[in-house]
Amino acid sequence: MNKQEKESYLREYALMKQEGKPFFPYAVAKDGAMAAVVMLSIILMSLFLGAELGPKADPTTTTYTPRPEWYFFFLFELLKVIKPAELVQLATIGVPTICMILLFLLPFYDRSPERRPERRPIATTAGIFTICAMGYLTYLGAHAGPPTQIDMETPPALVAQGGEKLEQFEAGKQVVTQSGCAACHKFGENGNDGPGPDLTDIAARLPEQAIARTLINPTAPMPSFQNLQEEEPEKFDAMVMYLSQLKGE
Amino acid sequence: MPDRHQTKSKYTTDRRIPGAFEGETVSRRRFMTASAHTAGGVAAMAFVLPSLAFAMGPIFEEQDQPWQDVGSTDEFDTETYVPKTITIASGVGEAGKSTVYMRKYDPQVDVEPKDQYNDFIALSTRCMHLGCPIRFVPAAGRFICPCHGGVYNFRGEVDGGPPVRPLDRFYTRVTSGGRVEVGRRFSVNSEIERFSPRDPGAPLDGIGQYLYPSRPSIRKLPNT
Amino acid sequence: MPKLKLPAPPIPLPKPLPKRPGAPRQTPVETATEAGISAVDWVDERTSLSGAARWMMFRKVPRGTNWFYTLGSSTMFAFLSQAVTGVFLAMYYRPDAAGGAYESIRYINNEVFLGEFVHGMHKWGSSVMVILIFLHMARTFFFGAYKYPRELNWGIGVALLILTMAMSFTGYLLPFDQRSYWATIVGVNINGTGPLVGPYLSDFLRAGPEFGATTLSRFYAIHMLLIPGIMAALIGAHLYLVAKLGTTAPPWLKPSDPVKKEEKA
Repeated sequence: MNKQEKESYLREYALMKQEGKPFFPYAVAKDGAMAAVVMLSIILMSLFLGAELGPKADPTTTTYTPRPEWYFFFLFELLKVIKPAELVQLATIGVPTICMILLFLLPFYDRSPERRPERRPIATTAGIFTICAMGYLTYLGAHAGPPTQIDMETPPALVAQGGEKLEQFEAGKQVVTQSGCAACHKFGENGNDGPGPDLTDIAARLPEQAIARTLINPTAPMPSFQNLQEEEPEKFDAMVMYLSQLKGE
Repeated sequence: MPDRHQTKSKYTTDRRIPGAFEGETVSRRRFMTASAHTAGGVAAMAFVLPSLAFAMGPIFEEQDQPWQDVGSTDEFDTETYVPKTITIASGVGEAGKSTVYMRKYDPQVDVEPKDQYNDFIALSTRCMHLGCPIRFVPAAGRFICPCHGGVYNFRGEVDGGPPVRPLDRFYTRVTSGGRVEVGRRFSVNSEIERFSPRDPGAPLDGIGQYLYPSRPSIRKLPNT
Repeated sequence: MPKLKLPAPPIPLPKPLPKRPGAPRQTPVETATEAGISAVDWVDERTSLSGAARWMMFRKVPRGTNWFYTLGSSTMFAFLSQAVTGVFLAMYYRPDAAGGAYESIRYINNEVFLGEFVHGMHKWGSSVMVILIFLHMARTFFFGAYKYPRELNWGIGVALLILTMAMSFTGYLLPFDQRSYWATIVGVNINGTGPLVGPYLSDFLRAGPEFGATTLSRFYAIHMLLIPGIMAALIGAHLYLVAKLGTTAPPWLKPSDPVKKEEKA
């Protein structure tokens, strides 16, 4: 923005201001109405959602799944998405710091005098992209289930069938959860995306025998379940049966 | 004969000292300006520095970590980990406790040289990504972090996910009465060499140990 | 730029005429009004605040300002609500990690009259404030309101955004439940991943190498004294600059042509 543009803005603005209305009471009335709406929504949220207190802090736990408040979900998901250990600092300190600096310096690198959003395509696109990215990360963060349980639906055909098959399916699910498969594999919304492949629809890609073979003779770093097969074959069979039912959601 | 009379004031008017008036000497106004700044600075520092030092004191104060009894030697084997609760910060009751996973040293599994402090291996339950509580899953023989997807193998080394170094460990020793005691925490790099404890998220391989220096508040045992 | 003229100071009113004999007596309402006016006058004579109030309240706002322009003031309103509910929560809260903190929040929720309600207002108020401050920033961004001459005010606003997030972070350790504790551990460790200074920064936040006896009171002091103080000062500066530089007009509005206007007239 050069001197001429600055002066022309100030002149235009002074004219517009002269044509305007006094702040009090015209703008204050709107502000007051909005403040009342805000206050009302806070009160309603407090009344209906309350202020729940979770279980007391326990630093010795090994079963608790920490999750942040919703407005930090985007950061939480960012930390999950950036996998390589060398890039941890980028996710924790790097990206937030860069974003803060970019925000602070915005008026200094965006120096065009144009103010209409439709005539600032880069700025408007960047803004909308940022909002979408944060919204998407927040959504993912909100839906990230802990890797210590699996919330996928039991196939309805199996439920209808019931009986022994269903029991074996449930037993297999339990074995899979307790074996920590979800630490490396994704099951629907639970588990981690990697290092292992997504198992949500493993049955669509591998036949039952192949699943069993992979469990006994896996590629590193996946542990072998040969011991389980030898010592507790019924548990191993349940596990294979469970995995062979995962055809995706 | 040259004109000995000065044509310009040697005082202030022509020397661009703001606010100075004719007849006032530069040195006097400069002196007053300097003393105003100094007095103000001294007065401000007099309360800022002590309170800042007061708030930052804990950074430089070494915390003592006594040896704690966790059980007798026959409670632990080489096959699996046993969780034990120890106190890592005194004076806060339950909030100062932490869990360690313990097992016996196994020459077939462990790569680090054996010495007086690792008859028993004690792993910290803090994930080395950002400090979430990890959990040992016996079926897979692995440690799993519920937060951002860290996975560690049986030795506590990173198997996958974002953690930057193997799980922290604690010194252990065996008393003459056959009891196992757990001492200070120490961090290890991927070769299981001992380092002064670092916070989660601080890598120790390569340049990492210099980018994330050890702190005066917590140290490993000397000569280990 | 032609300097905008401030309204002229008021001309002192002529002294009231002496009462005519037989005039009706003052009603109590009139007496009260007069007393109020003279009290305000008394203060104004000694402070000259009326000029500042006039400058703030009767400045003109460009045409076309819409509901999007209320987001800033409602963020401030949410901050005030947080401040008030926070002060009252502090009357019952004990920053004691050994069990007192959790117990005191449980006591507030279960025993104190309207306790859970005020606690809930503080808790949900923080969410509302975070939403509002982001919306306010989005409005400023898309309307180009951060441009000349308002660059500095944008900077203050970004600082307020960061401080608001810092408030939320330091705030949710205080109830000392599981979520508080682990979120704080993770948050402090995130700070600790900054190269070179990180380890010392996290030692400073925790008051030691581990979560210890004074960590909670440290967070409490930062949450209720340090950050709110800075925020209040910055909000004051933000408001002053808004009043001084004026509310922006919506970007697609142009002043009506003065020549045409005269013709119309």
